[in-house]
Amino acid sequence: MLKILIPSILLLPSTWLTPQKYLWTTTLSYSLLIASASLMWLATPSETGWSFLNCLMASDPISTPLLVLTCWLLPLMVLASQNHLMLEPINRQRTFISLLISLQIFLILAFSATELIMFYIMFEATLIPTLIIITRWGNQMERLNAGTYFLFYTLAGSLPLLIALLLLQNSTGTLSFFTIPYLPSTCSTPWAHKMWWTACLLAFLIKMPLYGAHLWLPKAHVEAPIAGSMILAAVLLKLGGYGMMRILIILDPLTKELSYPFIILALWGVIMTGSICLRQTDLKALIAYSSVSHMGLVAAGILIQTPWAFTGALILMIAHGLTSSALFCLANTNYERTHSRTMILARGLQTLLPLTAVWWFIATLANLALPPLPNLMGELMIITSLFNWSMWTLILTGLGTLITAGYSLYMFLMTQHGQLPHHLISLNPPHSREHLLLTLHLMPLLLLILKPELIWGWNA
Amino acid sequence: MAPPIYSALIISLGLGTTMTFASTHWYLAWMGIEINTLAIIPLMAQNHIPRAIEATTKYFFVQATASATLLFAGISNAFLTGQWDITYTPYTLTSTLITLALAMKIGLAPLHSWMPEVMQGLNLLTGLILSTWQKLAPLYLIYQIQPNNPNIFIALGLLSIIVGGWGGFNQVQLRKILAYSSIAHLGWMILILSFSPPLALLTIIIYILMTFSLFSSFMLTRTTHINSLSTTWAKIPILTISTPLILLSLGGLPPLTGFMPKWMILQELTKQSLCPLATMAALSSLFSLYFYLRLSYAMTLTMPPNNPAGTLPWRLNPRHNTLPLALTTTSTICLLPMTPAIMSLMPF
Repeated sequence: MLKILIPSILLLPSTWLTPQKYLWTTTLSYSLLIASASLMWLATPSETGWSFLNCLMASDPISTPLLVLTCWLLPLMVLASQNHLMLEPINRQRTFISLLISLQIFLILAFSATELIMFYIMFEATLIPTLIIITRWGNQMERLNAGTYFLFYTLAGSLPLLIALLLLQNSTGTLSFFTIPYLPSTCSTPWAHKMWWTACLLAFLIKMPLYGAHLWLPKAHVEAPIAGSMILAAVLLKLGGYGMMRILIILDPLTKELSYPFIILALWGVIMTGSICLRQTDLKALIAYSSVSHMGLVAAGILIQTPWAFTGALILMIAHGLTSSALFCLANTNYERTHSRTMILARGLQTLLPLTAVWWFIATLANLALPPLPNLMGELMIITSLFNWSMWTLILTGLGTLITAGYSLYMFLMTQHGQLPHHLISLNPPHSREHLLLTLHLMPLLLLILKPELIWGWNA
Repeated sequence: MAPPIYSALIISLGLGTTMTFASTHWYLAWMGIEINTLAIIPLMAQNHIPRAIEATTKYFFVQATASATLLFAGISNAFLTGQWDITYTPYTLTSTLITLALAMKIGLAPLHSWMPEVMQGLNLLTGLILSTWQKLAPLYLIYQIQPNNPNIFIALGLLSIIVGGWGGFNQVQLRKILAYSSIAHLGWMILILSFSPPLALLTIIIYILMTFSLFSSFMLTRTTHINSLSTTWAKIPILTISTPLILLSLGGLPPLTGFMPKWMILQELTKQSLCPLATMAALSSLFSLYFYLRLSYAMTLTMPPNNPAGTLPWRLNPRHNTLPLALTTTSTICLLPMTPAIMSLMPF
């Protein structure tokens, strides 16, 4: 575990000490080296137990895919931010890269934490670099509002979580993941127990986001620069899902009844946000709402707590992380050329940028869950387990799948097909950097078709 | 101000607090507090501008009222119990009266109205003394009296956290914001005082560290208004990174040091089965986080690439003694991993 964490921490001094000429090359190559080394975590010797243990950090089949995704994403973020940061003074470039690296450090510590308070502190710690990335390097005036919404929505949920964790610590004496599954359930007064249950889950549901508390997400995703959008969509939302998976073990037996409203809200959110996507004019907002939609399905899957549902949720989290990040990178290629996120200003790009159109095609197919991609595997497993839980959910999930296919196709057709607008005479062709970026996003997704056991979690 | 007078006043400040710390008799404790008040009055008025004189006068009236009440309460306690001992306050009437008098001295809600206006009239150094040193003697006295009835502490504490947060919402003057921040943090201290006095000690120490670093940052750039914060990038660029971190630490965000007292206080409150109170206190601290965030927005996160957002002030006094700022800033940002070590030092 430390073999990856310490090099990540040492990326910080290397960012500040590298000469200007080699800054981006160095950070990219070293973060790629760390990402390749992090693949060792996937070789888990024990299928349901903890591996790579030390006192404070460990990895198990649920956290391993998320850890690898986090480490994989840093070189991708460095690659994606290179262009829009080129014109800034060198120290600000170094600051930006340091923020990305510190996010990686906090995320590694969060996903590998073996104690709930450590997870909580790292969960909160990821807020500060993300806030700075969104509000300092975002491009529009609305980014201030976005940062405030982001910080306060998450904090309003996580402060009750802190109190719930402290309560648990007081009644059971420990908060370690190793011992918590074996503790007797703490059943005090019914009302207080229900409040405690809600407090435990609220932070993660807001982070996922659950449909009713999702307002921060479109703002934050849209206003963030490309690296901010990537890390938000790919990993930070999954922190919520991972936290829910970890903490639901303790929350039985109340979960059987209390989770009903949240499952229904999540499934309703799948349909509602999918429908909103069909009417969006802002490309990044469309991808952001599609994230809410997919995460709604993940939330519903996690809350029903069956093995297939957990596996489906984990697969969908990883697949959605790669797909959503790829879509944001594609939206960024549009933005860097036209400096606008409005879809109607950049239509028919297949004529102008045919190579990028290939990437748009693959990413869109991934988003609408085409077989045999892992997106479909995750969605299908969640839909099946939800059907097993209650057959009426099939209406909601089936409709959700239909609408997902609808808006993904809408996005593809709007941006790629149709007639080129008159004002777009020539755009810069895609750089090799952008092709590399999208390859690095989509190739793991395609390779996961061949060995999906890596992201099956406890069902491997 | 002439150096001998200045030194005499500073030494008197130290003398007053030390007398209160060393006393077991109500008269001596009260005298120490009076010496403190009298010593800081000329320091507040040193500028000879009307605003400073107004602040001084308000401070004097409030502190005189509080001192008179405190003396009355101490004498009543002596009358009822026959003892002049500070620690012996078995009657709820006198201990409540003492608590309220001392609360007025340090500016806890609902006796806080004087604090922002007084702080606004002072220069930054005197404001620092007001919000850190002047709190020590009264807090020590509250620490000592027996908490017969923790309800008053809880009420004062929760109200202060809420008022400290809500009151700062509309402020653009930095000194008023710092006053409301002081009210909020003192609220956290009072909240936990009846349950675990060592935690209150921890809170005040961490608060003094954080406030010291924030005041020192503002003193370096001579900023007293949000608008002048936006020119920090042109004067001392490193402050644009450190000051937002200090502000977020004041707001209690992990993984910065400011999270430590809040975490420990919430832990103690949940141990005492006071979870709704803990939740309310935690959520009320989000109010103050909002205006700290606004300050960091003005300073760093909306940094203009080329032209400064405000008019450039004159850059006087290039001699900076930055060692205290460096030390306190580092402790404000990096001390959270030391929590187990610090907690083991607390006398439990």
